[in-house]
Amino acid sequence: MNATVASEYSAERHSVPIEHRFNPYSDNGGTVLGIAGEDFAVLAGDTRQVVGYSINTRYEPRVFDVGDNIVMTANGFDADGAALIDRFRNSLKWYKFDHNGKRLSILSAARYIQHLLYGKRFFPYYVSTLIAGLDDEGRGAVYSYDPVGSYEREQCRAGGAAASLIMPFLDNQVNFKNQYVPGSDGKKKKELRYLSLEEVIQLVRDAFTSATERHIYVGDGLEILIVTKEGVRTEYFPLKRD
Amino acid sequence: MPGLSFDNYQRNQFLAAKGFGTPRATSTGTTIVGCKFAGGVVIAADTRATAGSIVADKNCEKLHRLAPQIWCAGAGTAADTEMVTQLIASNLELHSLSQNRKPRVITALTMLKQHLFKYQGHLGAYLIVAGVDPTGAHLMSVQAHGSTDIGHYQSLGSGSLAAMAVLETHWKPNMTKEEAVQLCAQAIELGIWNDLGSGSNVDVCVMEVGKDAELYRNYKTPNVRESKTRSYKFPRGTTAVLKERSWQVVDEQVVATGEPMEVDA
Amino acid sequence: MSDPFSINGGAAVAMVGKDCIAIACDTRLGSQSLGLANNFEKVFQMGKTTFLGLTGLATDVITLREDFRLKNNLYKLREEREMEPKTLANLVSTSLYERRFGPYFVSPIVAGLGKGGQPFICGFDLIGCIDFAKDFIVSGTASDQLYGTCESLYEPNLEPEDLFETISQALLNAVDRDALSGWGAVVYVVTKEKVVRRVLRTRQD
Repeated sequence: MNATVASEYSAERHSVPIEHRFNPYSDNGGTVLGIAGEDFAVLAGDTRQVVGYSINTRYEPRVFDVGDNIVMTANGFDADGAALIDRFRNSLKWYKFDHNGKRLSILSAARYIQHLLYGKRFFPYYVSTLIAGLDDEGRGAVYSYDPVGSYEREQCRAGGAAASLIMPFLDNQVNFKNQYVPGSDGKKKKELRYLSLEEVIQLVRDAFTSATERHIYVGDGLEILIVTKEGVRTEYFPLKRD
Repeated sequence: MPGLSFDNYQRNQFLAAKGFGTPRATSTGTTIVGCKFAGGVVIAADTRATAGSIVADKNCEKLHRLAPQIWCAGAGTAADTEMVTQLIASNLELHSLSQNRKPRVITALTMLKQHLFKYQGHLGAYLIVAGVDPTGAHLMSVQAHGSTDIGHYQSLGSGSLAAMAVLETHWKPNMTKEEAVQLCAQAIELGIWNDLGSGSNVDVCVMEVGKDAELYRNYKTPNVRESKTRSYKFPRGTTAVLKERSWQVVDEQVVATGEPMEVDA
Repeated sequence: MSDPFSINGGAAVAMVGKDCIAIACDTRLGSQSLGLANNFEKVFQMGKTTFLGLTGLATDVITLREDFRLKNNLYKLREEREMEPKTLANLVSTSLYERRFGPYFVSPIVAGLGKGGQPFICGFDLIGCIDFAKDFIVSGTASDQLYGTCESLYEPNLEPEDLFETISQALLNAVDRDALSGWGAVVYVVTKEKVVRRVLRTRQD
């Protein structure tokens, strides 16, 4: 039986038998965020890796350039995330060997990752996966996944520990949700428009400094990978370390 | 209605048994330390309060006053440290009034441990008690189950290991006041950086024999948020409003009418 | 499902502006995923410029609303004056801690103007630990989302009209990302001179 109010420190006694079982998963914290622009896409992540109340490292890159102008992150349980990205990179290498160095489109990469994830349907990779890049028309694209491979192309998506803090902010500032034209008596929605790269980077930085303030698993550093037709570029901004 | 009420206890146990889990109270997953010096004692704390992995309060006060010259730092369940401390502070004042003596640290500690022992650890209060009294400067700690500890330096809370690393490395006997304050602040800072349950600022309280206690609220503020890249102020009229109603706030004035009430002879 | 706080759903938020405060809530009452009512307000006026917000288990929200109404009225009769927000905060705190080992499943917030129109807001956990804040306080099943929106949208010293937009956008976008909150929203903006109550247009899903 549980106590009425659980507290971290009180040693509660349980009258039910204690069950011991190996748990292969752990939560390594961290948060990631992807936004698609008109002719670019960004994927950002903080660089803190944690377990419990401890920081493993203050700089462990979360977002990776996996080749063919695609950036990828798999946030949650870092070992699974690393394994998934390794597998994808390896597959991409073999794809090139087998198909005379052909470029993998983001559409195909997205579908392939679904199969990587669903292939472990009953022992899933414990991650929320995001990829970003440019589609065949050169427009920014972000794809997001659940742990077993259900995916969707979106304009923006936050994943990981502080996803619930960041996502409503993105709804409001990227898709202008709940914003109306002043004077229209709440009848006319604020018109959608593509954000410039500078605006997107501002949003990403403010989203992460805000998440750092309120979530203990977010902090230390922010690394943003920017995909344009020129290639992948990285920017780094320090975050609070407490 | 003195004491605590258990009216909802059975209902809540029923809810728990039905599979609705038990909610978690705000915990001050904390770093707190204390350290003696020649002629006094100093305690310090961080200022982060957490509810699970969310920061509930970025600048809370974990240094509580038990008596003018006896202060304590609290870790554990936030409400318990606050309430147990207020209760003992009241009883300590009544005690010192009836005895016509200044309260002693050992008295505060004994009252705390007897109270906490009575509750068998269910009050999640972990305190470092420090102060000066007619018998000198003292530094002690008490755990939720009622056990107590005395020492030249102490640390408690989720960041206690980080803090103790500093204390064990740099502590020496007969430090000056400044050295002790520095040591404590540094120990807390290590907790702030390396323990996720601790963060934000450092609060310090110095109690010196023959002097008033000095509380340095936000003695160090190494975690001021950088300004945002832009303002997110909305144009007025952005939100869709269905209905609007407003009413004036009038100050209630006792209007004397001047005409006395008519009474019988 | 996993705890009594998220059976009925609901969210509330309070913010401090320039010589003013705002307090807002959604109006959904549900039973897990089933919506029951869209007129369940969670913010109550306790004095001319003092407001109490209660989220959590609906039965406790109602019980405590009536309990605090009683205590507030008795205070007014005995003292022949209104309760200060700070006094109300301490009343809430002690009332909740009285039930330390059999708590009400609520997360109250208090907002108001104190003596001389001094803005005051604070929040509590279910056993009465007070969280004094200078900027904003959030509570309810959408509290994570509210922390995110408030932390990024809020700025200090907003005029009442601007504060209304900020608190409304913070609440609306937060509850839209919470399955258990929404279904209408009410915002109070309180200045020394007047109280404005606005009902917002929200998503109905």
